[in-house]
Amino acid sequence: MTNLNRALLSSIAALALLAATAGIAAAHHSFVAFNMNEEKTVTGTVNKVEWTNPHIWIWIDVPDGKGGNANYGFEGMSPNFLERRNWTRATLKVGDKITVSYRPLRSGENGGMFMTGKMETGKILTMQGGREGE
Amino acid sequence: MTIPKKLLLSATAILFAVSIGSISAQQYVTKKPAASDWSALANLPDFNGVWERGGAAPRGNAGQAPNAAAPRGGAAPAAGAPRGGAAPAAGAARGGAPATGGQAATAPAAAQRGAGGRGGRGGGMQLNPEYEAKSRAYQASAPEDNTTANCLPPGMPGIMTQPYPMEFLLTPGKVTIVIEAYTQVRHIYTDGRKLPEDPDPKFFGTSVGHWEGDTLVAESIGFSPSIRLAPGVAPSDKMRIVERFRLADPDNMTIETTITDPVVLAAPYTTSSNLRRHREWTIEEYICEENNRNSVDSSGKAGIDLTPPGTNSSK
Repeated sequence: MTNLNRALLSSIAALALLAATAGIAAAHHSFVAFNMNEEKTVTGTVNKVEWTNPHIWIWIDVPDGKGGNANYGFEGMSPNFLERRNWTRATLKVGDKITVSYRPLRSGENGGMFMTGKMETGKILTMQGGREGE
Repeated sequence: MTIPKKLLLSATAILFAVSIGSISAQQYVTKKPAASDWSALANLPDFNGVWERGGAAPRGNAGQAPNAAAPRGGAAPAAGAPRGGAAPAAGAARGGAPATGGQAATAPAAAQRGAGGRGGRGGGMQLNPEYEAKSRAYQASAPEDNTTANCLPPGMPGIMTQPYPMEFLLTPGKVTIVIEAYTQVRHIYTDGRKLPEDPDPKFFGTSVGHWEGDTLVAESIGFSPSIRLAPGVAPSDKMRIVERFRLADPDNMTIETTITDPVVLAAPYTTSSNLRRHREWTIEEYICEENNRNSVDSSGKAGIDLTPPGTNSSK
């Protein structure tokens, strides 16, 4: 794929994402807590999924390199919204390995707004649903 | 046996007082529906059911498209294209929302930004100069977040444009709209009662409706000063909202909303939105206080609670 195509794709994806998240803000809150201009990625193990309104929270343990784990929290959409887009409360299970791309918290604390999650199987999860990885 | 006249008079007076009291508290006594009232519902347009925002360029489908948002993958261009095509128009319906989300503002302001798109009619909302200035001043130093972060519902008209479904229920003399977002309910009385002369201020106002052919016309007055007509601007107690609901086709409903407020608005403001039917959906529970980690304090500063959940919780 050429760089131009890739850039174009990114733009389209960004636009679509903007449109997709547009409704989210109206649903509940603005994105003040998150740095929407930054995207970070972290890999860890699911230790808890709060399948709750108004937002789900996905908590993962990330090895801290010192033999322990750091706890990361990611805010997602609501169960209502997600269940209409092929998620269930069992989509993510405790113990699942996942690589999360997210908009980091402005405070610098561990976590942020969940964008996409890549499972060990290659399956990609987004707040608009899940699909098999390429 | 003779009942003393005086006692009889007192009893009558008490009964009278009680009945007046209950009537004025209720303001209107709902009639018992006859079988014919129930069967008459069959002649009304098929509004019953679950609907969500989205229209001819349906949000229902658009809801799938943002898979294109997944950053990589061949699906993006294909899925992105229809979205992109819809964007200018849908922008009016949806794109306006985020800006307003942070401002406690509502649909009209969203439509204002998206003026010229689908549904936008006659350009933006025109505020009277005093309120225009007030709104600008507010936006110049807007709080980080609005009270919906604390789970306070937005009220009218914003509650009608949430990214969650609504269920319409028609019963004799009433149209009920069950709104999933924030678990809210609107009551539109179609039994011929009049709007109250001096209604208590409410988030959704007080509503009555009537049918003009296949169109449900709902009129609402008496809105809470807690709601927002534009960023930083509450409606006056003279605000009136008229909504015209009709089926564009069996599974698409159009709502034309006209807002008048002789104090705040320089001219009536009209916008329209589309709902798409989802027969495969049911309205779900939405308890905003269940696990709300967002907040905004009285100075407008936003917060987020990152306390990890108890690991032994059964949530």
